[in-house]
Amino acid sequence: MKILEVEQVSHLYGVGTPFRTEALKNVSVGFERGLITGVIGHTGSGKSTLVQMLNGLIRPAEGRVLLDGKDIWEKPKEIRSVRFRVGLVMQYPEYQLFDETVEKDIGYALRNQGLGQDEIRERVREVISFVGLTPDLLEKSPFDLSGGQKRRAAIAGILAMRPDVLVLDEPAAGLDPRGRREILGGLTRYRDKTGTTVILVSHSMEDMATYCDRVVVMNHGEVYAEGTTDEIFARAGELDSIGLDVPQIAHVALSLKERGIPLTGTLYTVDGVKNALLPLLKGRKTP
Amino acid sequence: MSEQLIVCEHLAYTYNADTPRDAVPAVRDISFSVARGEYIAVLGHNGSGKSTLAKLLNLILEPTAGRLTVDGVDTTSPDFSEDDLFEVRRKVGMVFQNPDNQLVATVVEEDVAFGPENLGLPRAEIRRRVDDALREVDMSEYALHATHKLSGGQKQRVAIAGMIAMKPDCIIFDESTAMLDPRGRHEVLDAMERLHRDEGIAVIHITHYMEEAARADRILVINEGKLAMDGTPKEVFSQAETLRGWGLEVPQTVELLMALREAGFDLPIDCLTSDECVAALLPHLAGEADA
Repeated sequence: MKILEVEQVSHLYGVGTPFRTEALKNVSVGFERGLITGVIGHTGSGKSTLVQMLNGLIRPAEGRVLLDGKDIWEKPKEIRSVRFRVGLVMQYPEYQLFDETVEKDIGYALRNQGLGQDEIRERVREVISFVGLTPDLLEKSPFDLSGGQKRRAAIAGILAMRPDVLVLDEPAAGLDPRGRREILGGLTRYRDKTGTTVILVSHSMEDMATYCDRVVVMNHGEVYAEGTTDEIFARAGELDSIGLDVPQIAHVALSLKERGIPLTGTLYTVDGVKNALLPLLKGRKTP
Repeated sequence: MSEQLIVCEHLAYTYNADTPRDAVPAVRDISFSVARGEYIAVLGHNGSGKSTLAKLLNLILEPTAGRLTVDGVDTTSPDFSEDDLFEVRRKVGMVFQNPDNQLVATVVEEDVAFGPENLGLPRAEIRRRVDDALREVDMSEYALHATHKLSGGQKQRVAIAGMIAMKPDCIIFDESTAMLDPRGRHEVLDAMERLHRDEGIAVIHITHYMEEAARADRILVINEGKLAMDGTPKEVFSQAETLRGWGLEVPQTVELLMALREAGFDLPIDCLTSDECVAALLPHLAGEADA
């Protein structure tokens, strides 16, 4: 079942100037409830415009955005309630921290929602475990945190709102491999526990392969491909041609298949390719 | 002109060194040299001290201990003057992570001219350097464009051109590809490789991406402020277990071959490209190709 859908949405920037660009062209795509859907594409592919429409930050020039089948712009004055239901973590959210303490910053939206102190306290403590922050950091100023910790605090602020749909624009950009794993792994645990629908925008095909159930590929303002992660990566060669960085391991599998090696299975993760190769390889040493 | 461009001897840096209670040692006793024209990648997890090291090499930070010699000049000697400092900064340039906060002018060619203008060069020489530098990073057609309208990769290439126009001996890239999309990353990586190959400029590339590090001639791994490994990409990535213990990864090809070795197959593990990996696997797949 789809919780969030965009229907024949188009959007232009810079109308009436020489910089007029068509960011989205008649895009229709849906996001399944409870799944992690990846959105991938180049800078300029329209993916950031798309995600900003999902919580009503941008109103589409044409087309509709449906949350639980209802047009979010039906009553424009009530758009704020959509933003509580669809939480958006923007790129480099750590630049948006501002409050006196980490605890106050994470709880900011909850105060705006009018929740009581005890409820806020409880929710803040619950979400920090998912992003890998420890309670002793809550009393600190957010500006005394490391870059990675700031990022986690900013994400926690959105998780604390308990949105039905969580949209994250490049949440792991610029982090080292361990930091990426911790943040994206934490989001997976959060989804498993809460059943929240997650939409993950990333440049990294490896992240798509590791964390996403479904993938939407954007190219030149259009949906280029959409499907389960398996379906999308079966077209790895094609994705390569539109300039996406297909994981190195998928290249190995593709190249072996081109040489006629009959590999089958999940051919875009190291484990998957290993399992596909094991029954075919010869010359195993006897232990 | 000395053979070694940069020589670090027991280099150390401690933040808040004056207040022992808050002192944070970031770089501890690091020694290595950079030869002219070398292409080096520096790996290390967040907080390992690699960015502090970069800031020491470019004299943004002054070492709290040890000696740093750049092109034969001891930067830690009491005789080291302000003029010497500017000369070292010209020789060792730096491109930072965020493409949005290192351009100073509103027009591309003015931004590239900023450094040479400050050197007080004649007009014709500035013109020539700007044109050459933009050509080198493949941005000539954008010379008169507004800097804020460029993509991230283009902005980084303008920043690189600004360095080239200073005729440096070395450029340090401090995670300069981290905020770019794959296309931007490739543009910047290609520019780096050209600097090293065609211009003989030494490149020191600090990165989190293992595939990027694999392109260099030599990799330095920094862990807890110390130089933990120094070798060719093949040598370094063969130490997969150790690297993982430090929060780093290895290329997926190495990961696959290691797993297959554990399963009892006699395969090399130091294949860093997919082509090398395929070539290593094929002999073990003889007769499997469907006709």
